[in-house]
Amino acid sequence: MNDMTPTREQREAKLEGMGCKRKRVEDIRFTQGKGSYVDDLKLPGMLHGDFVRSPHAHARVKKIDDTEALKVPGVLAVITAETLKTVNLAWMPTLAGDVQMVLADGKVLFQNQEVAFVVATDRYAADDGINKVVVEYEPLPVVIDPFKAMDADAPVLREDLAGKTTGAHGPRKHHNHVFEWTVGDKDLTDAAFRKAEVTIKEMISYHRTHPSPLETCQCVCSFDKIRGELSIWGTFQAPHVIRTVVALIAKIPEHKIHVISPDIGGGFGNKVGAYPGYICAAVASIVTGKPVKWVEDRIENLTATSFARDYHMTTEIASTKEGKVTGLRVHVLADHGAFDACADPSKWPAGFFNIVTGSYDFPTAHLSVDGIYTNKAPGGVAYRCSFRVTEAAYCIERAMDILAQKLGMDPAELRLKNFIKAEQFPYHSALGWEYDSGDYHTAMRKMMESVDYAGLRREQAAQRAAFKRGETREIMGLGVSFFTEIVGAGPSKNCDILGIAMFDSCEIRMHPTGAGIARVGSKSQGQGHETTWAQIIATEIGIPADDIMVEEGNTDTAPYGLGTYGSRSTPVAGAAIAMAARKIRAKAQMIAAYKLEVHEDDLEWDIDGFRVKGLPEKTMSMKDICWAAYNSVPPGMEPGLEAVSYYDPPNMTYPFGAYICVMNIDVDTGVYKVRRFYALDDCGTRINPMIIEGQVHGGLTEAFAIAMGQEIRYDDEGNVVTGSFMDFFMPTAVETPHWETDFTVTPSPHHPIGAKGVGESPNVGGVPAFSNAVNDAFSFLGSTHIQMPHDYWRNWKAAKNLGVFA
Amino acid sequence: MQMNDSQRIPASKEAVWAALNDPEILKQCIPGCQSLDMSSPTEMTATVVFKVGPVKATFGGKVTLSDLDPPNSYQISGEGSGGVAGFAKGGAAVRLEAEGPDVTVLHYDVDVQIGGKLAQLGARLIDSTARKLAGEFFKSFGEVVGKTVAAGV
Repeated sequence: MNDMTPTREQREAKLEGMGCKRKRVEDIRFTQGKGSYVDDLKLPGMLHGDFVRSPHAHARVKKIDDTEALKVPGVLAVITAETLKTVNLAWMPTLAGDVQMVLADGKVLFQNQEVAFVVATDRYAADDGINKVVVEYEPLPVVIDPFKAMDADAPVLREDLAGKTTGAHGPRKHHNHVFEWTVGDKDLTDAAFRKAEVTIKEMISYHRTHPSPLETCQCVCSFDKIRGELSIWGTFQAPHVIRTVVALIAKIPEHKIHVISPDIGGGFGNKVGAYPGYICAAVASIVTGKPVKWVEDRIENLTATSFARDYHMTTEIASTKEGKVTGLRVHVLADHGAFDACADPSKWPAGFFNIVTGSYDFPTAHLSVDGIYTNKAPGGVAYRCSFRVTEAAYCIERAMDILAQKLGMDPAELRLKNFIKAEQFPYHSALGWEYDSGDYHTAMRKMMESVDYAGLRREQAAQRAAFKRGETREIMGLGVSFFTEIVGAGPSKNCDILGIAMFDSCEIRMHPTGAGIARVGSKSQGQGHETTWAQIIATEIGIPADDIMVEEGNTDTAPYGLGTYGSRSTPVAGAAIAMAARKIRAKAQMIAAYKLEVHEDDLEWDIDGFRVKGLPEKTMSMKDICWAAYNSVPPGMEPGLEAVSYYDPPNMTYPFGAYICVMNIDVDTGVYKVRRFYALDDCGTRINPMIIEGQVHGGLTEAFAIAMGQEIRYDDEGNVVTGSFMDFFMPTAVETPHWETDFTVTPSPHHPIGAKGVGESPNVGGVPAFSNAVNDAFSFLGSTHIQMPHDYWRNWKAAKNLGVFA
Repeated sequence: MQMNDSQRIPASKEAVWAALNDPEILKQCIPGCQSLDMSSPTEMTATVVFKVGPVKATFGGKVTLSDLDPPNSYQISGEGSGGVAGFAKGGAAVRLEAEGPDVTVLHYDVDVQIGGKLAQLGARLIDSTARKLAGEFFKSFGEVVGKTVAAGV
């Protein structure tokens, strides 16, 4: 060896593999404004479509008159439900087993529902056309309050379901009922409550909000009549699913549909489902023979494409006097709006809400969920969380604080007392899940030590005493949150979308010079897949991450995948990537053995190539193996070096974390100050710590927004009164608190690289931390539970209701 | 949204009542009114330009007078559509009280509902805008009627 020979550390560093804080390669184009988004696409002769929308929340559509609209220069067509009926597309199936109007068919069921689609030579002409379409409505009584939807005399919303006593998920109890879903042992749970020494009961609401990605939902559809092929560029989190849905409903052969998701400016669940805009743009392109672009504006995004949450959770915990939990009972009223357009795996009408036992060892639990229809926008999607997991985490974390308050116990101590112990994993929860791994006590104690939890409680006690003496008008709250997520949907045994198992996929092709391309079934919307996927491959096959190009989003080239949402990319696609890379390495080992003239078993892997056991000088690098793969493979072996893996995960993964929020609130103004926010995440093996930190920052910012003000609110008439960023809270750097991040590592035992997924953890854990901080601040004044969102006005009102202005 | 207030007008109750039923005077006083045509003694069609925050739209609609008790009170109701901008419906109970032979107090009790884009974008502005518009209407109504009477028309 001479001095030029790189050391092992240098060789490893050159790979920029797993564990490296590799800079995001996609940022080179994003930070220079060189990303390529749907709206950047301009095809020759492209037309623009835009919607006439209903100003009413519930009304009969008596007449649509497009005479004047068609006279507007540039307007080419006005598509209505009657047009769509000729191609049997006036209604479309939802991922939740319901059907949804593409364009108003006889009536409208929510404000801003799509009524007609105006196609014009440019967006301005389309808008002028919209102003000239005259729609005659006959307003009907509205149902906005979910608690009144199932009143005997409540207006009938879904006339199309008249007489249908069974829906996609079993019996319907009422004309505005969607489904009832129950899990757990009711008798055992009721018995636990009868015997309980202490019980709590609270209706905990998770308000309606919206993922509101900065780039709204949009598409360009182009139908080639000669070839009979439909190309769709769109903001799709799951492009292959869109292709299959289009094939099923438009009856175009699937190989003649090309779906391309270019760069996406944030999804957060908003871009999983299929929306009327996609169908109308496709039909308009087929009708006109020209490409048609549809781009939502902000109001349309906030008021029409999928909302999130609107879960009303009546929660009860049974416990001993000492604070050992003995039972959990939850009933959820789930408001789905006008159509059940949840994007859950087919068999899960309430997603994975049965993770509601959280991080605690409940001996028994029972859950029932009633889905209902109201005159609001359809949904609801999983906004930066696995399906209904943030609702579940909020429910149990708020309820544990309420129990602690009733017992007079410290909330952290109550959690430590009830955690599932490290030795109990794999743990079977009372509501049916098998938690893969965890070490909750270690994470919780690390959080408590890092922030000096005991010291903060002493400070709070002093602050409260000073408040009572009239020396200060500020109150202090500590919001503890310990969440367990369930992500990585999912195993084919229980997860599918429209019958397609929720596997994911990767195809790796190595080129002769030692560089390669990886095509993956996931689709980044900002998560940094181009960076992290290459890191997995770098570690697995010893080729520098910079030499691996990652490609996603083109259904013609990427292997079939179920897309990116529910933190499934790393648990499922990440596993497929590792497995495909291992196939490459297995073939490479055969080639290396042949070239080094030894038996395969005499080789061992060493960072970036193989070496002969006991003969460290005798090596063959992966780069050289790539070359050999194209000219001198062993006799009988096919040349080339590529591999495909479709990965069906054996189980979900269960990331967890311990968060704490320290907050002061001025009772006279309701103004809060987040003094400190500490987030410890355990997402198993960490692929890129810098990206994890970025994901945690983003998720916490969204959690902050949701808990502290972000809301889709309706008035009694069904008007959305938070239809723009003027009223819908979108925090900027000015409002956003400083985040402290930390971690523990408990690998997933069943995942090839032990990774669990992290993108959504901070939203799931963050919301209860903020809400618990507000509630903890007010608790000493006699309050038990204050509903979210906790904006200044509501904080002030809470203070007023507690009589602090007396 | 509901609001109520009163306006003191230097004219007799009968003169105020006549003005309340005169489309020409109403047209002058309704803020943004482009046209007001009487189709029967109790029915009118109107076109009004209405602006709330960022939304400006021309509303076309019907105005109906009911519960007439001349010269004491009536109910004026209307509903109009501004196309994509949304819709508005509502009314006002108007009551006249003679304070003297030449002074009348006009009491009004307004109830308005607004829907569509106007409500989405203008939620926080609607109350104040509606109050402002109602105030403008009754203020200029008072002035116009006062002037008409003073001029001896």
